Amino acid sequence: MRNNILIGILLLASGSIRAQEDILFELHFEPLLHNTSLLVENNREEFASYDLTVETLKFYLSSFELYNDGKPVFSTIQNCYLLDLADPDSWKISLTIPEKLSFDQLNFQLGVDSLTNVSGAMGDDLDPVNGMYWTWQSGYINFKLEGTATTCPARNNRFQYHIGGYQAPFESLQTIQLPVNPNSKISITLNLDTIFNEVNLSENYKIMSPSESSTIFSKLLKKAFVIKR
Amino acid sequence: MKIKLIISMVVLIICSASMLQDKYELLYPNYFPSPVYDFEKNELTTEKIELGRALFYDPILSKDNSISCASCHSPYNAFAHTDHDLSHGIEDKIGIRNAPALFNLAWQTTFMWDGAINHLDMQALAPISSPTEMGEDFKNVVEKIKRKPIYPKLFFQAYGDSLVTGERLLKALSQFQLTLVSAGSKYDGVKKETAEFSDQETAGYITFLKHCNACHREPLFSTYQFKNNGLSIDSSLNDFGKGVITQKAKDSLLFKIPSLRNLSYTYPYMHDGRFRKLKEVINHYTSGIQETATLDVRLKNGISLTENEKVDLLAFLLTLDDKNFVFNPKNKFPKKILLPSEGIMNN
Repeated sequence: MRNNILIGILLLASGSIRAQEDILFELHFEPLLHNTSLLVENNREEFASYDLTVETLKFYLSSFELYNDGKPVFSTIQNCYLLDLADPDSWKISLTIPEKLSFDQLNFQLGVDSLTNVSGAMGDDLDPVNGMYWTWQSGYINFKLEGTATTCPARNNRFQYHIGGYQAPFESLQTIQLPVNPNSKISITLNLDTIFNEVNLSENYKIMSPSESSTIFSKLLKKAFVIKR
Repeated sequence: MKIKLIISMVVLIICSASMLQDKYELLYPNYFPSPVYDFEKNELTTEKIELGRALFYDPILSKDNSISCASCHSPYNAFAHTDHDLSHGIEDKIGIRNAPALFNLAWQTTFMWDGAINHLDMQALAPISSPTEMGEDFKNVVEKIKRKPIYPKLFFQAYGDSLVTGERLLKALSQFQLTLVSAGSKYDGVKKETAEFSDQETAGYITFLKHCNACHREPLFSTYQFKNNGLSIDSSLNDFGKGVITQKAKDSLLFKIPSLRNLSYTYPYMHDGRFRKLKEVINHYTSGIQETATLDVRLKNGISLTENEKVDLLAFLLTLDDKNFVFNPKNKFPKKILLPSEGIMNN
């Protein structure tokens, strides 16, 4: 009996310690096109009449880390998250961090790391059924962007960017570093306008394998992630 | 009280027994190196192997339900194919390469003639989605398998619940293929001291060790590396092998070195199936080498063999045929599972 009470107290104590220490840290991502959120379906319908529309937008984010004064203070265990325009919920990522953690910088990777790329079949977000795995040549597609543009000379004016590659010299995994205020919720914008301002859709409208152009494109993507003010 | 305890113990034992999967130990001879496949991430069990075998032989993996893995990788050909020099897919489409034999896959790190695939688990995705092979979308394969009556039970037996996922499907296919171990040839008998080479075979073995073993290294009879073995370029295919994948000049015309086991069952030979007879292959190495920038240095002047050495070498190569493997009933079409509800016509 006495033992039971003791265990009960211990359980309570450990529970309360945990409750005090950990908080949810939410990352809200939002894709912008024509300076408007693509997560709102009405906007997407309205864009159908525009010169430039996006139909598919899917990408992997991984290895979330928090830094304070240049030193790492937090990193995630679970690795890859698939964000998909077709699944608005996937754009919110919740991490559990210690409540009193001080940090001033958020780091994460755009894409799937090379070790995961060579480790065989994976489940959940990394399951090849998600259409983010190249079949004719092993490797994850880190970032997929498809749509139409009147300036694109391809069939049906369709552009297709499948950005990936984990082997030298065509690595496309990019680390994104953003200065942040230590809030429990951080909103990050993926500004597609930044990308389309720099890509010449009349010439470079199709990337479907690891290559020099996919590496260049991945560097461009890095610039498109900004903290929402 | 005592009875209650016994009953609860019995219940516990039954429950835990039903949760336990029948672990499968991969058997291979002690003169084989250690496998390179990471079994910790995909532990072999009899149930998962059986699921993988059903999937391997089920044409449901192809777009029109006409082609299974076994269509091009037949057990009687050591899981290669002899009717066609190039692989034959849905709607009579012809691919660009000769279907390779499947065995001793646990000792290989890269797959396909050009090394495009970096893990056995991911290999099946290539033929499934290739328009000239199975021509099917992988997501759709998973959906079709969910609907086919035999599979929920097989997935339940293998994984403890009947959820069908891409990961499980691929890993089960790997499991069956990993069990395809060829180590029962006469050569293996000699290694195990249960058989003896004839004088001619011994002479052939010596010739083999001198001229072939560097690339076709025993006991697997391949290093599974990539080499340019001096084949002329077939202008109807213009296949540059590994170079196409890596886009590096040094990899141009490099192809995966195939094992020399089971040669009698796996003709035609080479990545494009250009040679139907072993004699033609040997003659290629003695007098047919084409010199290109990436040619393997060992082949620079061809291999010099007398007519007698050629005959002896052939005799030795035939000792690598593994009848026990080719006719192993465990590797065959799983009639019991696949025939009762054949096809997905019922859906």
